[in-house]
Amino acid sequence: MRSSLRQPVLCLICLSLACAVPQLIAKKKDNNPAPASNEQRRAVHALNRLAFGPRPGEVQQVVAMGVDRWIDLQLHPENISDSALESRMAEFRTLRMTPREMVEEFPDGQMIRQVADGKKPMPNDLARRAIYQVQVVRLEAREEAKKEREAEAVAPPMSTAPPEQDSAMKDAPPAAEGAKTEAELAAAAAADSAGNSAMSNQAMSNQAMSANISSSSMSADAPAAESKSQPVDDAGSRALENRLYADLEVQKLPDLPPHERYKKVLSMPANEQVAFADALRGGKGQDFLAGLEAKQKETLLAMNNPQGVITDELMQAKLLRAIYSERQLQEVMTDFWFNHFNVFINKGADHIFLTSYEQDVIRPHALGKFEDLLVATAKSPAMLFYLDNWLSVGPNSMQALGIPAHPGRYGPYGYPRPNPRRKQNAGLNENYGRELLELHTLSVNGGYTQRDVTEVAKVFTGWTIDKPNEGGGFLFDSRRHEPGPKLVLGHRIKFKGEGEGMQVLHMLATSPQTAHFISLKLAQRFVSDDPPPALVDRMTKTFLKKKGDIREVLSTLFHSPEFWDDSAYRAKVKTPLEFVASAVRATGADVEDAMPLARQLANMGMPLYGAQPPTGYSMKAETWVSSSALLTRMNFAVALTAGKIRGVKVDESQLTADSSSPPDAMLSSLEVKLIAEDVSKQTHDSIVAQIQGAGNSSAKAKPPDAGMIAGLLLGSPEFQRR
Amino acid sequence: MPTRRIFLRNSALAVVGTAAIPSFLARAAFGAVEAGSRNKRLVVIFQRGAADGLNIVVPHGEPQYYAMRPSINIPRKSVIDLNGFFGLHPSLASFQPLWQQRHLAIVHAAGSPDPTRSHFDAQDFMETGTPGIKATDDGWLNRSLRDLPRAAQNSPFRAIALGPSMPRILSGNEAAVAMNNINDFSVGGRGARLSPVATAFEAMYDHSSDAVLHTTGEETFDAVKMLKAADPGKYTPAPNTNYPKGRFGDSLRQLAQLIKANLGVQVAFADIGGWDHHVNEGSTEGQLANVLTEFSQSIAAFWNDLGDLGEDTVIVTMSEFGRTARENGNRGTDHGHANVMFVLGGPVRGGRVYGRWPGLDQSQLYEGRDLALTTDFRQVMAEGVAHHLGNKNLAEVFPGYDSQAGKFLRILG
Repeated sequence: MRSSLRQPVLCLICLSLACAVPQLIAKKKDNNPAPASNEQRRAVHALNRLAFGPRPGEVQQVVAMGVDRWIDLQLHPENISDSALESRMAEFRTLRMTPREMVEEFPDGQMIRQVADGKKPMPNDLARRAIYQVQVVRLEAREEAKKEREAEAVAPPMSTAPPEQDSAMKDAPPAAEGAKTEAELAAAAAADSAGNSAMSNQAMSNQAMSANISSSSMSADAPAAESKSQPVDDAGSRALENRLYADLEVQKLPDLPPHERYKKVLSMPANEQVAFADALRGGKGQDFLAGLEAKQKETLLAMNNPQGVITDELMQAKLLRAIYSERQLQEVMTDFWFNHFNVFINKGADHIFLTSYEQDVIRPHALGKFEDLLVATAKSPAMLFYLDNWLSVGPNSMQALGIPAHPGRYGPYGYPRPNPRRKQNAGLNENYGRELLELHTLSVNGGYTQRDVTEVAKVFTGWTIDKPNEGGGFLFDSRRHEPGPKLVLGHRIKFKGEGEGMQVLHMLATSPQTAHFISLKLAQRFVSDDPPPALVDRMTKTFLKKKGDIREVLSTLFHSPEFWDDSAYRAKVKTPLEFVASAVRATGADVEDAMPLARQLANMGMPLYGAQPPTGYSMKAETWVSSSALLTRMNFAVALTAGKIRGVKVDESQLTADSSSPPDAMLSSLEVKLIAEDVSKQTHDSIVAQIQGAGNSSAKAKPPDAGMIAGLLLGSPEFQRR
Repeated sequence: MPTRRIFLRNSALAVVGTAAIPSFLARAAFGAVEAGSRNKRLVVIFQRGAADGLNIVVPHGEPQYYAMRPSINIPRKSVIDLNGFFGLHPSLASFQPLWQQRHLAIVHAAGSPDPTRSHFDAQDFMETGTPGIKATDDGWLNRSLRDLPRAAQNSPFRAIALGPSMPRILSGNEAAVAMNNINDFSVGGRGARLSPVATAFEAMYDHSSDAVLHTTGEETFDAVKMLKAADPGKYTPAPNTNYPKGRFGDSLRQLAQLIKANLGVQVAFADIGGWDHHVNEGSTEGQLANVLTEFSQSIAAFWNDLGDLGEDTVIVTMSEFGRTARENGNRGTDHGHANVMFVLGGPVRGGRVYGRWPGLDQSQLYEGRDLALTTDFRQVMAEGVAHHLGNKNLAEVFPGYDSQAGKFLRILG
């Protein structure tokens, strides 16, 4: 009742603000006090900064609650119920799995190879068996094809391979078992696709490309058999026949009721299961999944792409939290810290560590103590793997010197001579040490030297992962740890194993440089690309006084005049994530499948979890304002409100109260709903011209509906800022 | 450090080489090119993932090479010999004619002097043009435009990156367009004219008081309209031009379309991944061979496709660092130091290997394991920027680097 009375009045005031005619406010003062309009503007600002933008009606709710109270509540997410979101998340089982469980249930290439080689048993559980079976068959088919290609290539000329090389290859001793796996893991680590595929959007373009890959590999499979069958090859034509039969069986599946369909798939012979899995490639085959329970759906999807299930659920969860969580500040801060302590999803084993990294390392500390967060990241397998620290070996450690683990066994002296053949690749890895100082704590100008980097790297030798490819956890391996004292930033660190690392992390977490750097980054996220130094200084003081309490630092920020200054209002250009999440929130859309949104983010240059360098994604405007990205944003805005983004339902009645109302009335009401009337005259006039233009041009142009007007507003320059 | 050509044998070859008149000279003789319409272009190609330069341009005259790489070396008889000491990997066969026509030059033992073996950092350094300094946020290719007169038309396509987002190398103050796909570069559908939705957006952005969005928006719609008008779709590849399938071939095919559509491209950037071969790198065949085929055939197709326009085009390739001189225990190579660069183009004095060869003896290796670096990549790029594009303000393009013209390798004639 109250809000319905208040709303039109607020609108008027806001309009007057947008027109930047202060006198109007003065006129209105009589029947409505200025503080109310001020409160509305404050609510918009708070929702734009502490949240991923306002949802329909939310500005009024925050005004009703009182902006300061709302901010205080957001600073204490534990007091906010988030049950609606939790029920949306219930279907994503991998969010509640440990990395170890993930490896078992959603095997990677290495696991499949072990099963194919008979080193690990094929699982008995029917569902799990189906997942493994398809991967094993595909692996064998790939190897078969490779052998054939090699045979073809080598058979005729042979001239390219001279005999000496041939014999060299034969004589090359097979790598020792242990060494081999170690080197392979190291290779996986180095093949951080940093190098591999170009630029930032592997994470997603893998998705996008899987469609192409599937079609080409399918056509490569079947017609390969076809072409070979020309000189009537029995085996070949039989294979083709089997495949056609299998495809027919698969096509019958959607006719079955869900439960029977699921049972049927699990009981199919291997070749039909492969045909089924192929039919799901590239996000196709949605009708096979209709009506199934979450776990059943996951199993079937995993038959096609086991690891894709993990990353898809992680990405969906991130988007759904940004869009629907009531604990908005917690999600904003989780995103902020994840980006600060960035880990790239496509670097080897990190795809199984990221779920837990975000959930157990980042989110619980997002508003807590910085030092706790820093220690948690330092010990996380995700970070240890991403920045290679798990491979770092002290040059004088027992491992590097080749001293066996159980010296007693080797002779009466108990300390055998070091192995003269040191491990070739054993050595310090400075990657983590450097980024810890430069990106996580002190910042690039934080007054450390290359010597400090090397010493810090020595301190963290032995901080490794217990069997990364099996999803193991943190392990301190004293055999890898560099002996002796270290000198870090002028402080002598006594030799005490794992404790050295803890001492250094404490030193860094409490350093004034760190306090300043973190305060600066927070101010850049919440205030402006170049925040006022005085504000950063006050935040730094709070950081130091409150021992790195992030909540306190944010409180200083949110209660500062700089945060509320007019110059900060809508001063930040949204990142693609902020843009997509805020657009979906503004329209009140219902997201059934967030993957199409994730693909949009990749097209805008910000694939989720896909920032390859340890710097994470930029928060600054210039990064996100490119031609390609702007066009993608405009196209997304129009597609979203036209209901053309699969899996995202925009309720047009949500957008406009009365679809029969004339377009300009619709425009006014949408300006209020979507962008709190912060629309420039230019934008407003451009849309009006579009409406009138469509009215005048007689023939085919239909009058713009609410969807199109909404799309234009969401693609406008104003909506690109928060 | 004075640089000298690697082998005098080169000059012997040069005598043979002059028999074939460089095709651009032949073309110029017909006077087909008007001086006024000439628009110099620099195309930079990044091989992301650290390509194995020693197996790409093979020092087959170096006995150490074969000793250090027992299973992955390129046998002498398979190498495409260039000058009796260096030879091309056989998968670079499509480069051979370009070498013979003297359009293609090679700089060996080149790269970034920073010792990092991190892909992240090393790529970053080669894009910002300030090795060792992470705080630089713009790219050298963008800075190279700053003091450069614009081409005849004030084109939004002056600087173009093929890909969905702006790479570091082209980020910065100068306008640049990132384009993933020519066909998607519009709003509200393709069509020859702007759609009504696009018109509305254009009006909003053109008149916006938001400086950042206004500028990019204006550039974007200029580019969209210009692209629609130029209709690059009609510039199909030249006869006998076969771009290999894949992202890199697509990038160069589209770049050729933009150039042929006379859109005023001055600098362009494309990249190709898949070079990080720690395991089973292969020799004449295998992983490296496959990606080299895609790499060289795409570039050769691009060159062929450009036709006369190649005369004003210089293409330079780079990769963040090389790989270990020795093969590792997995028939692959690990992260190393110096690498090889290719320079292709009309003004290139090709058919030569530039730079000083540091040797592969143990004492000559960098940190005892990698090819040592004798040419800073900035030396090569600076020559392209100053000599070809005509921007002499190198202190701004490569701050902190003493890139005087006197130090150039004189790759460009």
